Amino acid sequence: SPSVNLRRFTGCAVREFTFLAKKPGCGGLHITTDACWGRCETWEKPIVDPPFIDSFQRVCTYNASRLVTVRLPDCAANVDPSYSYPSALSCECGVCQTRTTECITSA
Amino acid sequence: HEGLAPGCHLYPFNVTIHSDRRSTCRGTHLVYACVGYCESSAFPSRYSVLVASNFTHNITSASRCCTISKEAKVKVRLDCPRGRHHDEIEILTARACRCDMCRKSRY
Repeated sequence: SPSVNLRRFTGCAVREFTFLAKKPGCGGLHITTDACWGRCETWEKPIVDPPFIDSFQRVCTYNASRLVTVRLPDCAANVDPSYSYPSALSCECGVCQTRTTECITSA
Repeated sequence: HEGLAPGCHLYPFNVTIHSDRRSTCRGTHLVYACVGYCESSAFPSRYSVLVASNFTHNITSASRCCTISKEAKVKVRLDCPRGRHHDEIEILTARACRCDMCRKSRY
Protein backbone atom coordinates (compact mmCIF):
# COMPACT_ATOMS: atom_id res chain seq x y z
CA SER A 1 0.00 0.00 0.00
CA PRO A 2 1.14 3.62 -0.52
CA SER A 3 1.38 4.13 3.24
CA VAL A 4 4.41 1.81 3.41
CA ASN A 5 7.70 3.68 2.96
CA LEU A 6 9.74 1.27 0.83
CA ARG A 7 13.01 3.05 1.56
CA ARG A 8 12.70 2.25 5.24
CA PHE A 9 10.98 -1.13 4.94
CA THR A 10 12.54 -4.16 6.58
CA GLY A 11 11.05 -7.62 6.33
CA CYS A 12 9.68 -9.57 3.38
CA ALA A 13 6.33 -8.97 1.75
CA VAL A 14 4.20 -9.77 -1.28
CA ARG A 15 4.69 -7.09 -3.91
CA GLU A 16 3.34 -6.57 -7.42
CA PHE A 17 5.74 -7.50 -10.19
CA THR A 18 5.35 -7.07 -13.94
CA PHE A 19 7.21 -9.19 -16.45
CA LEU A 20 7.07 -10.16 -20.10
CA ALA A 21 6.06 -13.80 -20.55
CA LYS A 22 7.44 -15.16 -23.80
CA LYS A 23 8.72 -18.32 -25.33
CA PRO A 24 9.94 -19.29 -28.80
CA GLY A 25 7.17 -19.49 -31.36
CA CYS A 26 4.74 -17.21 -29.52
CA GLY A 27 4.15 -13.51 -28.98
CA GLY A 28 4.95 -11.93 -25.63
CA LEU A 29 2.41 -11.07 -22.94
CA HIS A 30 2.89 -8.51 -20.16
CA ILE A 31 1.79 -10.06 -16.88
CA THR A 32 1.37 -8.39 -13.50
CA THR A 33 1.45 -10.82 -10.61
CA ASP A 34 2.33 -11.13 -6.92
CA ALA A 35 6.01 -11.76 -6.16
CA CYS A 36 8.25 -11.16 -3.13
CA TRP A 37 10.40 -8.21 -2.15
CA GLY A 38 12.05 -6.98 1.00
CA ARG A 39 15.05 -6.76 3.25
CA CYS A 40 15.92 -9.71 5.47
CA GLU A 41 18.37 -9.77 8.33
CA THR A 42 21.81 -11.05 7.35
CA TRP A 43 25.14 -10.85 9.16
CA GLU A 44 28.79 -11.78 9.21
CA LYS A 45 30.58 -12.08 12.52
CA PRO A 46 34.22 -12.86 13.40
CA ILE A 47 34.75 -16.05 15.40
CA VAL A 48 37.88 -17.42 17.08
CA ASP A 49 38.04 -20.77 15.24
CA PRO A 50 38.09 -21.62 11.50
CA PRO A 51 36.60 -20.49 9.19
CA PHE A 52 36.95 -17.34 11.39
CA ILE A 53 33.78 -15.74 9.98
CA ASP A 54 30.33 -17.00 10.91
CA SER A 55 27.44 -15.87 8.77
CA PHE A 56 23.67 -15.87 8.67
CA GLN A 57 21.97 -15.39 5.31
CA ARG A 58 18.25 -15.35 4.67
CA VAL A 59 16.61 -13.90 1.57
CA CYS A 60 13.10 -12.74 0.74
CA THR A 61 11.46 -15.56 -1.18
CA TYR A 62 8.16 -17.38 -1.75
CA ASN A 63 6.62 -19.13 1.23
CA ALA A 64 3.46 -20.27 -0.55
CA SER A 65 2.50 -19.84 -4.18
CA ARG A 66 -0.01 -21.03 -6.73
CA LEU A 67 0.70 -21.83 -10.34
CA VAL A 68 -1.09 -19.64 -12.89
CA THR A 69 -1.39 -20.68 -16.52
CA VAL A 70 -2.09 -18.19 -19.32
CA ARG A 71 -2.32 -18.43 -23.12
CA LEU A 72 0.35 -16.58 -25.05
CA PRO A 73 -0.81 -14.79 -28.22
CA ASP A 74 0.19 -15.43 -31.82
CA CYS A 75 1.71 -18.87 -31.34
CA ALA A 76 2.82 -20.95 -34.32
CA ALA A 77 0.53 -23.85 -35.13
CA ASN A 78 2.82 -26.49 -33.62
CA VAL A 79 3.56 -24.56 -30.38
CA ASP A 80 1.68 -25.05 -27.12
CA PRO A 81 0.43 -21.54 -26.20
CA SER A 82 0.22 -22.19 -22.46
CA TYR A 83 2.64 -20.45 -20.13
CA SER A 84 2.76 -21.16 -16.39
CA TYR A 85 4.28 -19.04 -13.65
CA PRO A 86 4.09 -18.94 -9.85
CA SER A 87 2.11 -16.23 -8.09
CA ALA A 88 3.06 -15.56 -4.48
CA LEU A 89 0.45 -16.16 -1.79
CA SER A 90 2.91 -15.35 1.00
CA CYS A 91 6.60 -14.51 1.30
CA GLU A 92 9.23 -15.10 4.00
CA CYS A 93 12.85 -14.54 4.86
CA GLY A 94 14.29 -17.99 4.25
CA VAL A 95 17.03 -20.06 2.68
CA CYS A 96 17.09 -19.98 -1.11
CA GLN A 97 16.01 -23.52 -2.09
CA THR A 98 18.22 -24.49 -5.03
CA ARG A 99 15.88 -27.40 -5.82
CA THR A 100 13.04 -25.10 -6.89
CA THR A 101 14.72 -21.72 -7.21
CA GLU A 102 17.36 -20.11 -9.40
CA CYS A 103 19.44 -18.40 -6.68
CA ILE A 104 21.38 -15.42 -7.98
CA THR A 105 23.41 -12.94 -5.99
CA SER A 106 25.28 -9.86 -7.11
CA ALA A 107 27.76 -7.30 -5.84
CA HIS B 1 19.54 -4.40 16.74
CA GLU B 2 19.59 -0.67 16.12
CA GLY B 3 16.10 0.19 14.95
CA LEU B 4 15.93 -2.42 12.15
CA ALA B 5 17.53 0.08 9.75
CA PRO B 6 17.94 -0.87 6.08
CA GLY B 7 21.55 -1.21 5.02
CA CYS B 8 24.51 -3.04 6.50
CA HIS B 9 26.20 -1.64 9.57
CA LEU B 10 29.01 -2.23 12.07
CA TYR B 11 27.71 -3.92 15.19
CA PRO B 12 29.90 -4.08 18.32
CA PHE B 13 30.04 -7.13 20.57
CA ASN B 14 32.36 -8.54 23.20
CA VAL B 15 34.24 -11.71 22.38
CA THR B 16 35.69 -13.77 25.23
CA ILE B 17 38.53 -16.15 24.46
CA HIS B 18 39.68 -19.05 26.65
CA SER B 19 43.11 -20.59 26.24
CA ASP B 20 41.75 -24.12 26.85
CA ARG B 21 38.64 -25.93 27.97
CA ARG B 22 39.42 -25.26 31.63
CA SER B 23 39.70 -21.50 30.83
CA THR B 24 43.07 -21.27 32.50
CA CYS B 25 43.76 -18.02 30.68
CA ARG B 26 41.05 -15.76 29.32
CA GLY B 27 40.59 -12.40 27.70
CA THR B 28 37.73 -10.24 26.44
CA HIS B 29 37.83 -7.73 23.60
CA LEU B 30 35.32 -5.52 21.82
CA VAL B 31 35.12 -6.43 18.13
CA TYR B 32 32.69 -5.59 15.33
CA ALA B 33 30.38 -7.73 13.22
CA CYS B 34 28.35 -6.56 10.21
CA VAL B 35 24.60 -6.80 10.70
CA GLY B 36 21.88 -5.46 8.48
CA TYR B 37 19.04 -5.62 6.06
CA CYS B 38 19.92 -5.79 2.35
CA GLU B 39 17.44 -5.94 -0.52
CA SER B 40 16.30 -9.24 -1.98
CA SER B 41 13.44 -10.30 -4.20
CA ALA B 42 11.94 -13.39 -5.79
CA PHE B 43 9.92 -13.48 -9.00
CA PRO B 44 8.88 -15.82 -11.86
CA SER B 45 11.88 -17.13 -13.80
CA ARG B 46 12.45 -16.19 -17.45
CA TYR B 47 11.76 -18.86 -20.01
CA SER B 48 15.50 -19.41 -20.63
CA VAL B 49 15.96 -20.23 -16.92
CA LEU B 50 13.01 -22.62 -17.04
CA VAL B 51 14.50 -24.46 -20.00
CA ALA B 52 18.02 -24.55 -18.52
CA SER B 53 16.69 -26.03 -15.27
CA ASN B 54 14.44 -28.56 -17.01
CA PHE B 55 11.41 -26.58 -15.71
CA THR B 56 12.34 -27.10 -12.05
CA HIS B 57 13.40 -23.53 -11.21
CA ASN B 58 10.22 -21.55 -11.79
CA ILE B 59 11.26 -18.98 -9.18
CA THR B 60 14.32 -16.72 -9.42
CA SER B 61 15.70 -15.22 -6.22
CA ALA B 62 17.99 -12.20 -6.53
CA SER B 63 19.66 -11.10 -3.35
CA ARG B 64 22.43 -9.31 -1.58
CA CYS B 65 23.65 -9.96 1.96
CA CYS B 66 25.31 -7.93 4.69
CA THR B 67 29.02 -8.77 4.52
CA ILE B 68 32.32 -7.63 5.99
CA SER B 69 33.99 -5.55 3.27
CA LYS B 70 37.04 -4.53 5.28
CA GLU B 71 38.54 -6.39 8.21
CA ALA B 72 41.48 -6.06 10.55
CA LYS B 73 43.28 -8.28 13.01
CA VAL B 74 43.27 -7.37 16.67
CA LYS B 75 45.36 -8.90 19.44
CA VAL B 76 43.50 -10.10 22.49
CA ARG B 77 45.57 -10.47 25.63
CA LEU B 78 44.75 -13.55 27.68
CA ASP B 79 45.27 -13.08 31.38
CA CYS B 80 46.31 -16.17 33.30
CA PRO B 81 45.80 -16.92 37.02
CA ARG B 82 48.38 -15.76 39.52
CA GLY B 83 49.95 -13.45 36.96
CA ARG B 84 51.61 -16.27 35.03
CA HIS B 85 52.51 -15.71 31.36
CA HIS B 86 50.17 -13.66 29.22
CA ASP B 87 49.22 -15.18 25.90
CA GLU B 88 48.07 -13.16 22.94
CA ILE B 89 45.60 -14.39 20.36
CA GLU B 90 44.74 -12.65 17.09
CA ILE B 91 41.13 -12.39 15.99
CA LEU B 92 39.34 -10.57 13.20
CA THR B 93 37.14 -7.53 13.54
CA ALA B 94 35.03 -5.82 10.89
CA ARG B 95 36.13 -2.32 9.86
CA ALA B 96 33.50 -1.72 7.16
CA CYS B 97 30.32 -3.42 5.94
CA ARG B 98 28.50 -3.60 2.64
CA CYS B 99 25.46 -5.21 1.03
CA ASP B 100 27.25 -7.55 -1.37
CA MET B 101 27.16 -11.11 -2.72
CA CYS B 102 25.65 -13.79 -0.50
CA ARG B 103 28.80 -15.90 -0.44
CA LYS B 104 27.81 -18.63 1.91
CA SER B 105 27.94 -22.12 0.46
CA ARG B 106 24.73 -23.17 2.16
CA TYR B 107 22.90 -20.19 0.76
